[in-house]
Amino acid sequence: MAILEMKHISKSFFGVYANEDITFCVEAGEIHALLGENGAGKTTLMNILFGLYKADKGEIIWQGNKVSFHSPKDAINAGIGMVHQHFSLVNAMTVVDNIILGMQSDGLFINRKKAKEKIKQYSKQYNLQVNPDAYVETLSVGERQRVEILKSLYRGAKLLILDEPTGVLTPEETNTFFEVLRKLKKEGHGIIIITHRMNEIMEISDRVTILRNGKLVNTVVTKETTKEQLSIKMIGAELEKREYIPSMEKGKVVLQLQNVCLKKKRNPLENINLQIHEGEIVGVAGVEGNGQKDLAEVITGIQKHTKGSIEFLQEPLEKQSVRTRFEKGISYISDDRHNDGLIMDMSVMENLALRTYRGLPFSKFCFLNKRKMEEIGKKVIETYQVKTSGTLKEATPVKLLSGGNQQKVIIAREVCDTAKLIIANQPTRGLDIGAIDFVRTTLIEQKKKGKSVLLISADLEEILELSDRIAVMFGGKIVGILDGKTATRQKIGLLMGGVIKEDMEQ
Amino acid sequence: MKKKVTLIQSVWIVIITLTCATLLILISGASPIEAISLFFNGIFGSLNGSMEVFVKATPLIFTGLACAVAFRTGFFNIGAEGQFYIGALASAFVVLQFDGVSGVGRILLAFIAGFIGGGIWALIAAFLKSKFGISEIIVTIMLNYIAINIVGIAVRTFMMDPNGNLPQSAKIDKSVCLMQVLKPTRLHIGFFIAIAVVILVWIVLEKTTIGYELRAVGYNKRGAACNGISITKNIILSSFLSGGLAALAGVIEVLAIQKKLVENISADCGFTGILIALLAKNHPIGVLFVAIFYASMQVGASSMQRQMGIPSSIVNILMGLIVILILGKQLICPKKKKVREEKVC
Repeated sequence: MAILEMKHISKSFFGVYANEDITFCVEAGEIHALLGENGAGKTTLMNILFGLYKADKGEIIWQGNKVSFHSPKDAINAGIGMVHQHFSLVNAMTVVDNIILGMQSDGLFINRKKAKEKIKQYSKQYNLQVNPDAYVETLSVGERQRVEILKSLYRGAKLLILDEPTGVLTPEETNTFFEVLRKLKKEGHGIIIITHRMNEIMEISDRVTILRNGKLVNTVVTKETTKEQLSIKMIGAELEKREYIPSMEKGKVVLQLQNVCLKKKRNPLENINLQIHEGEIVGVAGVEGNGQKDLAEVITGIQKHTKGSIEFLQEPLEKQSVRTRFEKGISYISDDRHNDGLIMDMSVMENLALRTYRGLPFSKFCFLNKRKMEEIGKKVIETYQVKTSGTLKEATPVKLLSGGNQQKVIIAREVCDTAKLIIANQPTRGLDIGAIDFVRTTLIEQKKKGKSVLLISADLEEILELSDRIAVMFGGKIVGILDGKTATRQKIGLLMGGVIKEDMEQ
Repeated sequence: MKKKVTLIQSVWIVIITLTCATLLILISGASPIEAISLFFNGIFGSLNGSMEVFVKATPLIFTGLACAVAFRTGFFNIGAEGQFYIGALASAFVVLQFDGVSGVGRILLAFIAGFIGGGIWALIAAFLKSKFGISEIIVTIMLNYIAINIVGIAVRTFMMDPNGNLPQSAKIDKSVCLMQVLKPTRLHIGFFIAIAVVILVWIVLEKTTIGYELRAVGYNKRGAACNGISITKNIILSSFLSGGLAALAGVIEVLAIQKKLVENISADCGFTGILIALLAKNHPIGVLFVAIFYASMQVGASSMQRQMGIPSSIVNILMGLIVILILGKQLICPKKKKVREEKVC
C-alpha cells in the first residue's frame, strides 16, 4: 500500500509553474528516486510535501488520509523527516542535544539518559553509528548526516526525504550510507532520494520519478530502465531548434590550462586541461558545484591554483593579482552578483569604476574625477538602457536595481575594449527573458569581435546555443570536451551525471 | 515618503528625551525650567562657556573621526581610548626628552610620534585580524586596558616628575604648549587643527581613490577582493589612520590642556568617539557637528551641576538614551517593509 500519494500537485510562482500537475506515490519499504535537472521542480515538490510551501492545486494523501501540512512541524508530527543538503545541526551541542532539540520533554527537566538509550537503540537497529556524547563540530560530514537521519527517526519518521544526500560524501561513506538506506527500507520506511547521479539511482532505488521543467515525465521501475533512458528523459530528447552561429576560424590560443589543480576539501580541481582560442565560445556544462566556480576563480586570480600552469596570451599567470589579470584582459562576470560582482551599497557609477578607478578617466593622481564618473555612468545607463530610480540616475545604489539591470552594470564594466577573454559564470541566472537575450547577444557580439568567452552555465540550452566547444565538468574534473555542433543533450547529460567519461582529445 | 517617517521618528525621539530629562531633573529635586535655563546659560551665557564647547569638542572630533574612518572599512576599532593614551604618552615623552629642539619643532615631533604610536597600537589589532582572524573588537578593547595601564606605570616610573611625588610627569615648557587664541578662554589652536583634519579626512574619504577603496572594502570585502582590491592592505591602512587620529586627541590634550602626562587623561573620549561616529553615520563633517553638539551638552550639564547640584551624569544618561532611540527607531515608528523595485528590463 502506498504510504504517500501526491496527486495533481500544481504550484506556480509569479505565474510560472514550478510544479504542474505532478502525481506520484511512495510505497512503504521503497526507495524512490526523484530525478531532474536544476530547476526541474524537485525541491519545490518536496517543500510542498514538507509544509514549507502550499500547493495551488492537488492533494496529499498520507497513510490513507488526506492531509494538508501548514508547516514543517505538522509534517514532522505526521511522520515525515527531511534531511536537507545543508544540515541543520547546532555545532556547539552534542549529538543527543541536537536530536532532542525542540522536542517536548516529559517534565520540566530534560531526561538525557532516556534519550541516549533510545538513540543508541536506533543506532544499533539501523547501523547508524555515532557517539551520542560527541559534539557535532567534531564529527565528519558522514557522521553529521547520520545524526540528521537519527533526528528524523527519533521523531518517528516513517518517510524520509533526502536532498542530494551523497553530494557531500566520499565514495566510502556513500557505501555505508546505502547500507543504512537498505536497512531502513527493510524496516518498512519509505525513502525519497533526490539526486542527479545516475549510477547511484541504478544502485539504490526501486523506482524513479523524472521531472522536467516542472512537469512529470513519468515514473519507471529502476530494474526495467537504463541510465541512458533516464538521462534522455531527464533532459528531454526532442530535437531542439538551434541556430548555428558561424564558427569563426580558429584563431591563436588565448588561454591555455595545463594540469591545473586546486586543493580543496570537496571537489578539488584535478588536472584541468583546456584551451580557448580567439573568437571562440567554450561552454562549461555540469551540475552546479562540480568545480565550475573554482575554475573561473583560478583563471581570474581570486583563488590561486596549487599545481599546473595557466598561460594567457603565451604568458604564464602564476602569482599575478586579480587586478593585473584584468588589466591583461581577463574579465569576469560572476555568478554571484550580490557578493562578488558588485558592491551593492555603492552607486551605479562607482560600481562601473570598480575595476579601473585607479587611472584615467576615473581618477588622476589619486583624486577621483566625479564629473567624468557621472558622465560615464550616464552614458552606460543610456546605451545599456539600465532602468534606475531617482533623479540622479548614475548615483542610484545598485542594490535598488533589478537583477537584470545589475547584470547590465557588470557587463558594461567587464565587457570593455581591453577585455580579451570574458569568463561568464551563470550570466543569465535569475534574469527575465529580455535580459537573458541581451546577455547572450552581448556574448555573441564579443565572439564576433574575435574575443574569447568561457561560458559556465547550468543551463544546457544556453550552452548548446552559444558554444563552439563544450567542456563537461564532474567532481572537479573535465570529463569530456565535445564539439558544439555535434554534441547532443544525451551525451552531455551522461557526462554530467558521471556515467561515462570521454577520452580527452583536443 | 521615507522622509516623513524619519521626521515623525525624530519628533518622537525629542519628546521621549525631553520627558526623560524632566523626570531625571525632578528626581534630583530641582525645578526643570530653572535647570534647563541654567543649562543653556552655561552654553550661551558667557564667552568662556561658549568657547569651552569647542575646547571640549576638540578631542571628541579626533576620536570620532578615528572611529568613522575605521568603521567605514568594516574595522570595528573600539580602541580609540587606548590609542588616545598611547598618543598622549608618546607626545609627552618626545616633548620632555628632546628639550634641545625648538618649540615648533618639538610640537611637530610630538604630533608625528603620537600619530605613529597610536597607529601602531591599532595596527596590532589589524594584524591579528588579517593574519589569524581574531576579532578586532576584542583585541582593541583589551589593548585599551594595556595602554591605560602603561600610562599608569609611566607616570609612576620613568616619566614621573622628579620634583614631585604625584603620579604625573613634569610640566612641559611654555614653548611647546599649543597657542591659546582667545584669552582668557581656554580655546586653543588645536580646535582649528581639528577642523583642518576633518576637511582633510573628508577629502581623502570622498574624493580620492584611497577613500574609494576603503569604502568598497567596508561595504563588501568579498566583492572588493573579486575586483582586485586588496583587503589586507586597506584594513591595515584604515586601522593605522584610525589609531593615529585617535592618538592626536591625546597629543592635543597633553600640549594644550593638561600640559603634562597624567592618569585618566582621556575621560572616556575614546568611547564617546564610537558614539559620535555612530550618530554621524561615519561622515567626517557629521563628526564635527555631532562632537560640538555633544560637547555643548557636557558644558551645559556642568553648569547645571555647579549652580544647582544636579548631577551632570544626567547628560550621559540622555546621550545613551538618544543613541538607543536612534538605533532602534524602527521600534518607534516601524518602516514599511522594503519593497524591491519591480523588475524592469
